[in-house]
Amino acid sequence: MLVRRRDFLAGTAGAAAIAGASGAAWPQAKPRVTFISQWSSGSDGAAISGLGKRLEEEGGIWQHSPVPGFTTEMMNKLRADIIAGNPPAASQLKGPEIAVWSKIAPTVNLDPLVEAAGYEKLIPGELIGLHKPQGHWIALPMQVYRTTTLFMSRPAMKKVGATKAPATWAEFNELAATMKAAGITPVANGGIRWDDGMKLEIALSGINCEAYRAALMKLDPKALKSAEMLEAFAQLRKFANWVDPAIAAQHYSVNLPKFLKGEMGMLMMGGWAQGVIKNLGGNLDDVLITSVPQNEGKPVFVLNADSMIFWQRKEADLTAGQQLLAKLMMQKDVQEKYSQTTGSIPVRTDVDLSGPAWTDGQREASTVLNEAFKSKRVLLSLAHNMAQTNPITAAMIDVLTEYVHNDKVTPEQGVQRLAAAVDTARG
Amino acid sequence: MRRRLTDYLPLVVIWLPLLINAAHVVGFTAWTTWLSFTPSDLMPEYDWAGLRSYRGVLRTENTEIAYINLLIYSVGFVGLTTLVGFVLAVLIDQRIRAENLLRTIYLYPLAVSFVVTGTAWGWLFNPGMGIQKFVRSLGWSDFRFDWIIDRDLALYTIVFAAVWHAAGFAMALFLAGLRSIDPDLAKAAQIDGAGPVRYYLRIAAPGIAPIALSVLVILLQFAIKTFDLVRAMTGGGPGIATMLPAVVVYDFMFQRGQLGRGSAAAVLLLLSLLAVLLPYYAYAQWRARRNRANG
Repeated sequence: MLVRRRDFLAGTAGAAAIAGASGAAWPQAKPRVTFISQWSSGSDGAAISGLGKRLEEEGGIWQHSPVPGFTTEMMNKLRADIIAGNPPAASQLKGPEIAVWSKIAPTVNLDPLVEAAGYEKLIPGELIGLHKPQGHWIALPMQVYRTTTLFMSRPAMKKVGATKAPATWAEFNELAATMKAAGITPVANGGIRWDDGMKLEIALSGINCEAYRAALMKLDPKALKSAEMLEAFAQLRKFANWVDPAIAAQHYSVNLPKFLKGEMGMLMMGGWAQGVIKNLGGNLDDVLITSVPQNEGKPVFVLNADSMIFWQRKEADLTAGQQLLAKLMMQKDVQEKYSQTTGSIPVRTDVDLSGPAWTDGQREASTVLNEAFKSKRVLLSLAHNMAQTNPITAAMIDVLTEYVHNDKVTPEQGVQRLAAAVDTARG
Repeated sequence: MRRRLTDYLPLVVIWLPLLINAAHVVGFTAWTTWLSFTPSDLMPEYDWAGLRSYRGVLRTENTEIAYINLLIYSVGFVGLTTLVGFVLAVLIDQRIRAENLLRTIYLYPLAVSFVVTGTAWGWLFNPGMGIQKFVRSLGWSDFRFDWIIDRDLALYTIVFAAVWHAAGFAMALFLAGLRSIDPDLAKAAQIDGAGPVRYYLRIAAPGIAPIALSVLVILLQFAIKTFDLVRAMTGGGPGIATMLPAVVVYDFMFQRGQLGRGSAAAVLLLLSLLAVLLPYYAYAQWRARRNRANG
């Protein structure tokens, strides 16, 4: 018995030695990236596989483990990996969570690479801050979406004789009332949490850009109770009354067939809805894609970006892989390919979108991003976890979704409750 | 040697799993309780933060709605399930044909997971594709059945699905109780001229009172733990109208990454469970003692 055990141990040691020796025998390991994300299917999955393939073409090894479910499920896996001392070389993470997570495990300093690419001049300042939380670049944005996109059903417009998109909320409300009178459900949004949160951010950004920045991004107590905020809640109530009542806890995509037929009029959604419409076999010619109304008459871009954070690893092949991946992510051609796959727009503001591979919707969003970038009217999305950390966002969206589904709450009470929820979540 | 082994085997078989279980249950309960008093956020931290997490949890509207809902849900679910289960048991007790088949059918929902129950009833209740649409397609065009999207009534749809799920279980227990009543008692009652209603209410019901109590306690702790049914059926909506405490725990712990608050919410849930189980335990002890004294 004892002998056998010793044999076993010796055998194991021998095998380990051989493995070690063969590892050492390789002069230089190939750059390798281990990556976890929630993206596994659909256009996001395709885009991330495309990026992995590109990395392999450049001589790297791409090891992607998608986590099913929502972003939060991915975060639970990431937390477990970090506690186990085995973080991936890179992982998906976005918005202010980058700063929060960077405090719990060491990250990679990407400053030299970012500087070499001259990247900082090319992307909106709001994004820069999120990706260098302690003064160093530790994460990179992958793609940008505008959450304030208005999709209008052309068949529905035709039914009520509308020829152009509403420019202000007053025009929007008038058109919606006309549609309702004509038997069309004016708003084609869904009724789940983030959708409800988005409706408020769309209303407020379309009322006043700086009021949004102060209230939802800086959580300024006065701005949270401002007149603009009250106006936004009143507008939110209108949206709530204009959606299909049966949509209660469902995703907006359930509405798309009716929307394309003209039974529903307007959808306020991120640019990703283009991809969803295309996947459904819908024709984008039936849809007018533009910005949501803006009372100030100046372009505003509420931004949602997907990013990757780089975790510190000692292994030479992993660090080499991280450098290669970061360099690729900043490249124009890589970003073009990625955004063309998902329907987003590139992070760099110097990409030419006039080619046939881009849609009108992407071009319009990109134009607005460039203008908003120059006039400093880029905002960060609340509902998509870009403006605040998870706990604060979730507490705010609790209030918003309750407000949307409970018409006994007045706009005044809504404003009060939101401010109170922010206080509680911070305390 | 051989003798020894057979002596110790029962001890090993009983104690080993018991110790492992105790380490898991007690250990992790203690850890969660400890975390609830720390400022833990994304990662566990072990500084003292007092009742900060509890204040944070109790001040949210979610928690308030969740506990009010729990009260309504528990009363509705436990009461209706007991009632339906008892009536079904009495009906099946009539020495009917195909008893086994019927019993299996009534028990069947219990074999279906809560997620499937929730999803299926979620569809049936949805006015756009379920019962309302079906009845309208039959020609009753202004029929309305939209409880699930009405924030004041949505909770009752969950009560309904839960009763559907558990009534068979209550029936099985009650039926076993009814069958265990001494047949001579039934005969004696019959001879004395008691009808079936009188028999079941005056003789059978008191006879199965201990079983009824067990059913109540089991159902009540089911109710307090309810999580997947709500997740699958309404997702806690419309808005946050159908929140239940277990959903709140999950929300803080895994959706928001607030370990401290999640732990505090979990401890509150444990306390509400204890509020049910401790009186039951005390009662069982008291009864056992009384029986011993009498016997």
